[in-house]
Amino acid sequence: MFNRGSQRGRRVIAISPNGPTGNGDEVEARFLAPHFESEGFPWLQIFGYIGSLLLTIAALLAVVQHILSPIGLLTVILILAVAQAALQLGIFMHLRESRGSTWHIITLGLGIVIALGLVGMSMWIMTFKSGVS
Amino acid sequence: MSSLLAQLFPPSTTRNMELSADVLIILTSAAIIYYLTRWHRWKYLWREWLTTVDHKKIGIMYLIAAVTMLFRGGVDALLLRAQLAVPNNHFLGPLHYDEIFTTHGTIMIFFMAMPLIFAMFNIAIPLMIGARDVAFPRLNAISFWLFAFAGFLFNISFVIGGSPNAGWTSYPPLTELAFNPGVGQNYYLMALIVTGIGTTATGINFLVTILRMRAPGMTLMRMPMFAWTTLVTSVLILFAFPPLTVAMVLTLFDRLFGTAFFTIGRGGMPMMYVNLFWLFGHPEVYILVLPSFGIFSEVVATFSRKKLFGYSTMVYSVLAITFLSYGTWVHHFFTMGAGAAVNVFFGLSTILIAIPTGIKIFNWIFTMWNGRIKMTVAMMWALAFIPTFVVGGATGVMLGAVPADYQFHNSYFLIAHFHNVIIGGTVFGLLSGVYYWWPKMTGRLLNERQGKWAFWLFFLGFWVTFMPQYALGFMGMTRRMYTYSHGFGWSSLNLMSTIGAFVMGAGFVVMVYNFVWSQIHGEIDVTGDPWDGRTLEWSTPSPAPEYNFARIPVVTDRDAWWAIKQDHKSNVIQIKPQEIQDIELPKSSAIPFLMGLSFFVFSVGMVFSWWWIAVVGFLGFVVCMLVGTFDYDDHKEVPRQVIQNTESALGRLQG
Repeated sequence: MFNRGSQRGRRVIAISPNGPTGNGDEVEARFLAPHFESEGFPWLQIFGYIGSLLLTIAALLAVVQHILSPIGLLTVILILAVAQAALQLGIFMHLRESRGSTWHIITLGLGIVIALGLVGMSMWIMTFKSGVS
Repeated sequence: MSSLLAQLFPPSTTRNMELSADVLIILTSAAIIYYLTRWHRWKYLWREWLTTVDHKKIGIMYLIAAVTMLFRGGVDALLLRAQLAVPNNHFLGPLHYDEIFTTHGTIMIFFMAMPLIFAMFNIAIPLMIGARDVAFPRLNAISFWLFAFAGFLFNISFVIGGSPNAGWTSYPPLTELAFNPGVGQNYYLMALIVTGIGTTATGINFLVTILRMRAPGMTLMRMPMFAWTTLVTSVLILFAFPPLTVAMVLTLFDRLFGTAFFTIGRGGMPMMYVNLFWLFGHPEVYILVLPSFGIFSEVVATFSRKKLFGYSTMVYSVLAITFLSYGTWVHHFFTMGAGAAVNVFFGLSTILIAIPTGIKIFNWIFTMWNGRIKMTVAMMWALAFIPTFVVGGATGVMLGAVPADYQFHNSYFLIAHFHNVIIGGTVFGLLSGVYYWWPKMTGRLLNERQGKWAFWLFFLGFWVTFMPQYALGFMGMTRRMYTYSHGFGWSSLNLMSTIGAFVMGAGFVVMVYNFVWSQIHGEIDVTGDPWDGRTLEWSTPSPAPEYNFARIPVVTDRDAWWAIKQDHKSNVIQIKPQEIQDIELPKSSAIPFLMGLSFFVFSVGMVFSWWWIAVVGFLGFVVCMLVGTFDYDDHKEVPRQVIQNTESALGRLQG
């Protein structure tokens, strides 16, 4: 599957001790194989769901009721948004259910770079408003 | 009652053209219903197609939908060109013209190009990487049905409720309620939201499929090029579609619930819509063209009988294009005036993309160098792509130069440029893919002579249509004008462009004739490998059995099937009876179809602000989710006896 060393070699990673059989049982490399935590009842997920609903409602109410000055409001909803993202990743995106962090770091890193890039550049583009209005 | 009728059939739906469309729609539907009933095909349709989760059948459904939408979008295009053929023409009124260019653009991008891309993904990817289906087969069907019902929703707008008319980009304030009453714009918003959900799910699906389900031995750097471009396209989809959905939902809120996200008078910022739209729109351009780059890489290598030149450079250029494409979106609105620093940054990043793209062009040319080139229709589309895309790319660099862009912006130069890259890149590539993989889909070869006629008509028609438009742009003709006066001197070039458009239309008709004729009389592909192919899909029979591979192949090299053939080991596709094992496959399900239907009902409720209908649709969606979540009986075992019989009938059983 994943050639973790040289990308140029002709090396086939032996997945099962007897080599691939071609019957579909070895299509996933060991370090990528899913590692599920099973529980009797998904309490954590239900709390996570209620938690994300509460965070969303809190953000909406804060804005609709104008509880703070614009800068204060922005800070509050930003904090709520980061908390929400952490909660979603931790509970629903199976961030804790893994045997290795390699892929998490790559994908999260890419996600953060792109998200910050898009948001940051959007803010930069929109600064023109101060010049024209 | 009369107010309801007035809401459903406003004046824009009772013009002669719309009424004739009504008659055609009713007659066609009646004919289809009669056919299905007369030949007892309803159950077959439901069992084999509407509830299927098989990637091969979903791919075929995407293809049929895309060709249908190409027809609709093409008719729109011909109407536009007919209006512009001569000066001072009154064939279409100004509002009618607005409606038609809006639906033309939206349908061509979201309901023609995107499904055609997903058709190629579905048909080729699992077979290419040696998998038995995609990672989430039911989600794949859900994606399809969300797209199909969204397309249906968008397409009925012009006969029921009124067509959207603010252009495919639909900028506020033109889309705000004050300037655009009626439901047309709601249709646009709901259709894009619903199909966007399906597209995002497809992105996730193919990303996981390619990362997790490749045959043993197929490292990332041994993947076929099309798998690489599918992988990065999926990543692009994941980041590009959320901004679009946000822009659409915020506009919908402005229209339905009285918010003011984009209303400047109440503190909103219409420019933010433009920013969000192109945050999606620019990566979208690469979502459209990268799969075609992948197809060219397969087609050129196969029909030159050579391995792809510079494989790793190709991979790195694809990755570079992907990364750079996130940082170029402002070039769609340089004239907004965001300042010199912003414009220069985005102008440079735009022009930078020409470098990896140029590398790819040279790699394709070097792949053909000294190859034994076979001029099949698929290869001709790939060859036609190179000069066409080079012209489109060069004019793109011209548009990327900021000072020049201030002159070109929203002129026919721009129109010619983006048709040049989207038709010359995306459409030529996808048609190449259709001709290349058709035998794998259907088990029959397309007639080459008819295919060449279709190719030449479409290709020449394309140049005659769009080259005059570059000149018209220089002469000052702007986008979206519905008529012009004689004195501007644009008449002959416009007439030429219209003639070209009708030649392209003729090419399309020949192509559809080619598809239908070949399905009835075409040569049957008995080998499963009609082109002497290089990748694993050609090791399967045409069409592949439900389980794709009786035994998952083991990959030792790039161009896996070619390597197997070179080693004289092509008899590995013969399987011994004692080696056959039971195969687990996903089971058909009605949930994807019903979920699409729920979204449709919900959307109709939102479009017309009939809240109770929206609630019904939403409840339908919740029920589908619940039933689907607790449905553990979602797979089936294909017993080895069945596989043995199938393989034996295909002549692939040893001994």
